Amino acid sequence: MTGREHELMKTNWSIGEEIPILTKTAFAPVEKDARNPIHTDEYARAHGLRGALIPGSILLSYVLEMLYRTFAGNWLTSGRIRVSFIGGGAINGDRLTAHGRVKAWEEEGQGRRVFLDLWLENQEGVKILVGEASCLIS
Amino acid sequence: MGIESDFDSIPIGLDLGEWEMVLDEETVRVHADRVQWEDREILEKHGLAPPGISIDLHAKMQFAKLTWMKSAIWAKSKHEFLMPFRLGRRIKIRGKIVDKFIKRGKRYRVAEFETVDEEGRVLMRSRETGVLVE
Repeated sequence: MTGREHELMKTNWSIGEEIPILTKTAFAPVEKDARNPIHTDEYARAHGLRGALIPGSILLSYVLEMLYRTFAGNWLTSGRIRVSFIGGGAINGDRLTAHGRVKAWEEEGQGRRVFLDLWLENQEGVKILVGEASCLIS
Repeated sequence: MGIESDFDSIPIGLDLGEWEMVLDEETVRVHADRVQWEDREILEKHGLAPPGISIDLHAKMQFAKLTWMKSAIWAKSKHEFLMPFRLGRRIKIRGKIVDKFIKRGKRYRVAEFETVDEEGRVLMRSRETGVLVE
């Protein structure tokens, strides 16, 4: 599999095929005096959340790491991603799994661009991030 | 200087300024720890930082400018990666507010960012929609 190397190894993804998932235990330090108090327990709970929200940029990074593992250096020069944050977000200790499923291919220049549906779900199978990505393969 | 007023006063086109970031080993390590990036040796071998290392600054740029804004979260974000973020390089992030709207009683603002290297080459373009937490 690719990912743990910088060079792209697999180029023949099939429509409907899932790329390798990536699972992490969500964590972000909770700072009592955070500039954005939604990342503190007290403020987040007062707004109906389970606790201090993990920043969206960290959730996005989990997905970006999955995409880099799959598309290696190609991702760094041609990756495109668009995501929406849904549900109640994530808090420390949530077990999050990033998924991607190939949905299309398009010719682009001298190569082909692969398109994927993306999602990040928690330990209960609830999606907290959905979106799509694409990457030039050759 | 920050904008001390509220949502209604945010001018479309508001310049969020230009922030710098040096991709030194310590900065990259701190970011990699923060996002639990696992395959660091591969990036290090090629002199690279994790993609999107500068995205954290986008929120900071908005909070610095919109000083009245207490809390906000991402509703959507979109990023295009054009060139690798290389270890040891100095990068600049420019941003501006490009839209704002109210939907189902919630107040949203849309900001665009461009990350460039020392030669002015664009590494990443981003468009982010944030919603105020009220």
